Amino acid sequence: MGGARCMASKGVNEVKSFPDSLAGLKSQGHTLIGCFPLYPPLELLHSFGLTPVVLWGLLQDITHLALSDRHLQPYACGVARSLSEFVLSRGSEFFDAMFMYNACDTLRNLPEILESSLGRNGTPIPLFRLHIPAVPLSRAFASVYLKERIRALIGELEKFTGKAFSKQAFLRSTALYNRQRRLSLDLEHLAAAGRIRFADCSGILLSAGRMPVDDHITILERTIREFNGRAPGHQGIRIMLSGILPPPAALLDAIERAGLMVAANDIAALRRSYGYLPSASADPGAYYEDLYRNRYPCTTILPSADRRLETVMQTLRESDVQGFIFVGEKFCEHEYFEIPAIKRMLEAAGVRTLELEIGMDNALNLDAYRTRIEAFAEMLRQGARGSRRNKDAV
Amino acid sequence: MPSEEIQGEFRKNTSGKRLSTMIMNDYLELHRRASEGAFVVWIAIIVPAELLGGFENVVYAVPESHAALCAGKGAGPVLCEKAEGLGYSTDLCSYARIDIGTAFDGGRDSPTFGLPRPDLLISNNNNCSLLVKWFDVYHRAWGVPHLVLDIPFCYQNQNDRDFRYIMDQFGTLISAIEEMSGQRFDMDRARESVRLSSEAFKEWKRFLSFAAHRPSGITAFDSFVQMAPILTSRGTRRLVDHYRLLADETGEQIKEGIFPVPDERYRLLWDNIAPWHQLRKMSGRLADLGANITSASYTYCIGALEGEYDPYEFDGNDPLAWLARLQNFSVCPHGLNLRGKAMKEVIGRNEIDGVVFASNRSCKVYSLMQMDQMRYIREELGIPCVMIDVDHADVRKYSEEAAFTRLEALLEMIEA
Repeated sequence: MGGARCMASKGVNEVKSFPDSLAGLKSQGHTLIGCFPLYPPLELLHSFGLTPVVLWGLLQDITHLALSDRHLQPYACGVARSLSEFVLSRGSEFFDAMFMYNACDTLRNLPEILESSLGRNGTPIPLFRLHIPAVPLSRAFASVYLKERIRALIGELEKFTGKAFSKQAFLRSTALYNRQRRLSLDLEHLAAAGRIRFADCSGILLSAGRMPVDDHITILERTIREFNGRAPGHQGIRIMLSGILPPPAALLDAIERAGLMVAANDIAALRRSYGYLPSASADPGAYYEDLYRNRYPCTTILPSADRRLETVMQTLRESDVQGFIFVGEKFCEHEYFEIPAIKRMLEAAGVRTLELEIGMDNALNLDAYRTRIEAFAEMLRQGARGSRRNKDAV
Repeated sequence: MPSEEIQGEFRKNTSGKRLSTMIMNDYLELHRRASEGAFVVWIAIIVPAELLGGFENVVYAVPESHAALCAGKGAGPVLCEKAEGLGYSTDLCSYARIDIGTAFDGGRDSPTFGLPRPDLLISNNNNCSLLVKWFDVYHRAWGVPHLVLDIPFCYQNQNDRDFRYIMDQFGTLISAIEEMSGQRFDMDRARESVRLSSEAFKEWKRFLSFAAHRPSGITAFDSFVQMAPILTSRGTRRLVDHYRLLADETGEQIKEGIFPVPDERYRLLWDNIAPWHQLRKMSGRLADLGANITSASYTYCIGALEGEYDPYEFDGNDPLAWLARLQNFSVCPHGLNLRGKAMKEVIGRNEIDGVVFASNRSCKVYSLMQMDQMRYIREELGIPCVMIDVDHADVRKYSEEAAFTRLEALLEMIEA
């Protein structure tokens, strides 16, 4: 695989740009399906011989939004704007089909905008849609509805690919994706132990969205082998990161330089994506009921709201972190509605918090971010010294 | 009504005066019944209040409507700031910020003294899934149960599968309320409630139909103000009576030659939620330019199926089926094509000269299709359009001069 060779030869944090990755895959004959974030049913798409890629983490590769700005106001989030720009500028070059589900209000508004624009340009791309119930799947009717929708999607995929659904192929795909999830968690643990920098770890994990799952597994396995035996090389005050996407590499670098160490995360593109391993099943309806019902809580998975605070707290405790940095995706209201509750909970537990916000112009503000991160790190250090003094006094 | 202020001869009529009394009484009644032990439910706008009408002693409040009222009365900024002080971002919907600011400060600065504390929260996600996040704030803070109606978005007309899914959810909702409130659901009461709403929607559409007259018998600002009781009195006889009076009086005024903008030269359509803090100012200033925003997607969608204009009438049979079918009666759950279809219909009926797309930071679901919608209206229908920046309830995010520069440019385009 092109991506794998590139990373092996140039280091773990070198991942090809999104367009380069996709160009490589196209040249190898992959049938690419571009999926809207956040949690599309990748296994099902894969079982039909399609190569799903997830359209987030594009900000580093897209600096101009000339086409997107013709369709979306600037108060749409960076994920939606960069996705639109990419699909409108290069979608027809790469994608044989697209997929979206009801992840959030902004994303649900996009399909017709993109479809009509691509249609006008004479480059339409077939688009599949799915509605995932936003009520608990423990309710029988919601489970029935999800299964009906999955069956309908299977029918559409059969028509599109000319292939019949195969239980064996689906089982193989689910096994691959679960392997990927397990390895992703293993890699995270290496970062939490200080054996690999979180910036490197995050780059590799995020690259899952732009390459075939088996290639990603290869990279994960090789990286884990490489770093597993290493002595912890990076230590610092343990913190947890939260947000939709991992912060840009420069910001992660600033976090580490400030003496902080990312020991845990609650990031949608990372832990929230692979934090739960569903049970194997040849029945896609049962498989996705399990996955969407039990997955790691996310602000966009509405029925998981009650579990979210508890899960964040549990992750914090397990990782022994002292600080929590929320890296907000500008204009992502799902995230911002939950911050005050999370902050209150963390402060009550004695965990310090810092809020940062990443917008389309984040590169311009890195110095301001650095200052705030350094101040936060200093506050954590003072807190740690204070609690040591208290212990000594006792 | 705002138009009273701008045209000396266009006086506040009986229905205008009745509206103020009705809204005040609705809120007083809500507080009174809550204090006497009624089961209090907070609902999102599209949650079917008529279903709650099937219970003897269940009252409901609509936080979005309360927030709009606060914004209209000038309390928006102070209430928003309270929420912002609690850590809620200024990028969040201003309705939510107003409501959170009110709720966590005991109703102070609210013209209705806030809303009585709920026993149950019911949100939905088709108008906007952020309502779910917003109601979750109270669910977490107060430990109040929160039920969500999951209504699939309409890229096409609602299909049978989605209809059945919604009906199933209504069943769960009824059982949950029965259990929590200790009251039995009475289908006949709900049927009567639905019958009255259906009748009220017909009267509402009759009122809106006077926008087809030249000059128009109404302004969209009238419809913004007059829609309030739909959110406080849905499913009641008083709502039917009110809209009948409103439509009758408007018809009479037309016969008498009384119009809100007598020298009307430009007939405009408004797309988005009302700019609650600007109703009087904007309508007056537009009237001075001979312009009347006669129609609004925000109000013409009420009571209609997705993509339609005419009201969806109740056939007298299953009230829950009517409610399920009508679960998309606002613009936000509609895709681009459905929005375009309804707008085209209204442009034709009301002989619209230009469309004002109000790009509303506080309502991304309404706004993030407008640029394509505008292109369609301008290129396919040949109607001049303009986009202005607003925030429906936070006046701090609105610039009157910037908006009017564009509105005046629209009038020039129409003139050209």
